[in-house]
Amino acid sequence: MTTFLAVAAENPGVLETISKTFGLNWPFFIAQVVNFIVVIIILKKFAFGPVQAILIERKTRIAAGEAKLKQIEKQLADSEANTAAAIAKANEEAVRLVNEARHGAAVFTEQKSQEAIAQAQQILTKAEAAAKADRERLHTELKREFGRLVAQTTSQVTGKILTADDQVRINEDALAKVEA
Amino acid sequence: MRYTFATFIFWILSPLTVLAAAESGHHALPLDAQRLHEIFPITNSMIMVWVAVGLIVLFCRAATRKMALVPAGFQNFAEWVIESLYDFLEGLMGAHLTKRTFWFFGSVFFFILVSNYLGLIPGVGTVGWDTLDAHGHKGFLPWLRGANADINMTAAMSFSFAILWLYWALTENNLRGFLAHIFAPKGNFEGVMLMLMIPVFLFVGVLEVISIAIRPVALTFRLYGNIYGGEQTLESLMNLIPTSLQKFLSWLPALPFYFMELLVGFVQALVFTLLCAIFLKLICDHGEEEHH
Repeated sequence: MTTFLAVAAENPGVLETISKTFGLNWPFFIAQVVNFIVVIIILKKFAFGPVQAILIERKTRIAAGEAKLKQIEKQLADSEANTAAAIAKANEEAVRLVNEARHGAAVFTEQKSQEAIAQAQQILTKAEAAAKADRERLHTELKREFGRLVAQTTSQVTGKILTADDQVRINEDALAKVEA
Repeated sequence: MRYTFATFIFWILSPLTVLAAAESGHHALPLDAQRLHEIFPITNSMIMVWVAVGLIVLFCRAATRKMALVPAGFQNFAEWVIESLYDFLEGLMGAHLTKRTFWFFGSVFFFILVSNYLGLIPGVGTVGWDTLDAHGHKGFLPWLRGANADINMTAAMSFSFAILWLYWALTENNLRGFLAHIFAPKGNFEGVMLMLMIPVFLFVGVLEVISIAIRPVALTFRLYGNIYGGEQTLESLMNLIPTSLQKFLSWLPALPFYFMELLVGFVQALVFTLLCAIFLKLICDHGEEEHH
C-alpha cells in the first residue's frame, strides 16, 4: 500500500488504474483486513491454542519422563552396585560360616568321640569289675559247696560226725589240694 | 489418495456445474470480487473466507473436543499437521521466533490452503447471475469466489503481515538494532575502510527499505495472480470445447489442470508462509550473536 501511494504520488492515475483493474478499494480492503484479523483470532483460540497446549504438555511430559528415566537408570546402576557388594559380602560371610561350621563340627565330632571312648572304657571297666566280683562270688560259693560236699562225703565215708573244726580243716585241706 | 478421491468427487459434480454455468451464460471470471450488499462491504469472496474459517474451526473443534495425551483420530491428524508445520518453521526461524509467531504463520498457511481448495470446488466462480450494466454490457456475477482470487484479501494478509513484521522486528531488535540491521555496515571494517563503507551501506539500506516496502505488494500479487490465474485457466480450458459439445464435455480439457491446481493451492500457501517467515527471520537474524 505504501508503495502504491509512493508510485501514485509520482504517476497520478497509476494507483487508480491498478485499483480499478483489480478491484482494490479501501472499503473492501478494510473489510478483508477485519476478516483476516477475525480469522487469526478464531484460529488462534480454537485451532492452534488447544493443539499447541497439548503438544507443549506432551513435550514437557516426555522431557520429565526422560529425566526420570535417567534418574531411574542411575538408581538402577547404584542398586546393582549395592546388590553386587552385598552379594560379595554375603558370600564372604557364608564362606566364613561354612568354615566355622566345618571346624565346629570337627571339634564336636572329636569331643563326642572322646566322650564315647571314655564312656565305653568306663562301661568296660565296670563290666570287668562286675565280672570279677561275680567270679569271686562264684568262687566263694563253689568253695563253700565244695567244702560242704567234701565234709559230707568224708562224714558218710568215715561214719563219723564231724565237728565244725574238722569240717574247716578238711575243707581247707581239700581246697589247698584242688587249688594246687 | 485423499486428494484423488476429492478430485474424483469434484469431477462427478463438475458436469452439473458446467451445465448450470452454461445455463447462466457467463463467459469469464471477473478480475475483481463483486459486491453482494449495497450497504455493507460484503463481496462474494468474503463468503468463501467465512466458509473457509468455518470449516477450519469445525475441523479443529472436532479434533480438540476430547483432547488426550495419547492422541487418536482427528486429534492425531490435527496434531500431525500442526506439529509438522511447526517443526518446519522452527527449522527455518529458530525456536524462539517460531514459538512467538506460530499463531500467525499457522493461521495464514491453513487459511490460504483451505481457501485455495475451496476455490476449486465446482460452482465457485462459475455459478451466478447474469448482469446488465448501465451501458447495456452483459456481465456475470458469481455467487461465490475463491478468497484468494480477490486482491483485497491477499492485500489484507500481506499488509497485516507487514505491520506485524515491523512490530516483531522492533521488539526483537529494538529501534537502534533495527536501524543498524538495515543501514549499518556489515563486517569488521575499521579506519578509512569504515568511512568508505558507511555511504555504501547507507545506500544499500535505502535499497533494503524499498525492498521491504515492495514485499507486501509482491506477496499480494503473487498469491492473487496464481490463484486467479489458475481459476481463469480452468475456465478458459472449459470453453475450448465446441459449443455443441460444451454442455457435456467442457470439463474434459480442464481435468489435468485440476490436479495441477491442487498442487498450486498447496504450493502457494507454502510459498506465502515461507516468504513471510524468511522476511521475519532476515530482520531478526543476529548472526553470530545468537550462538553466544
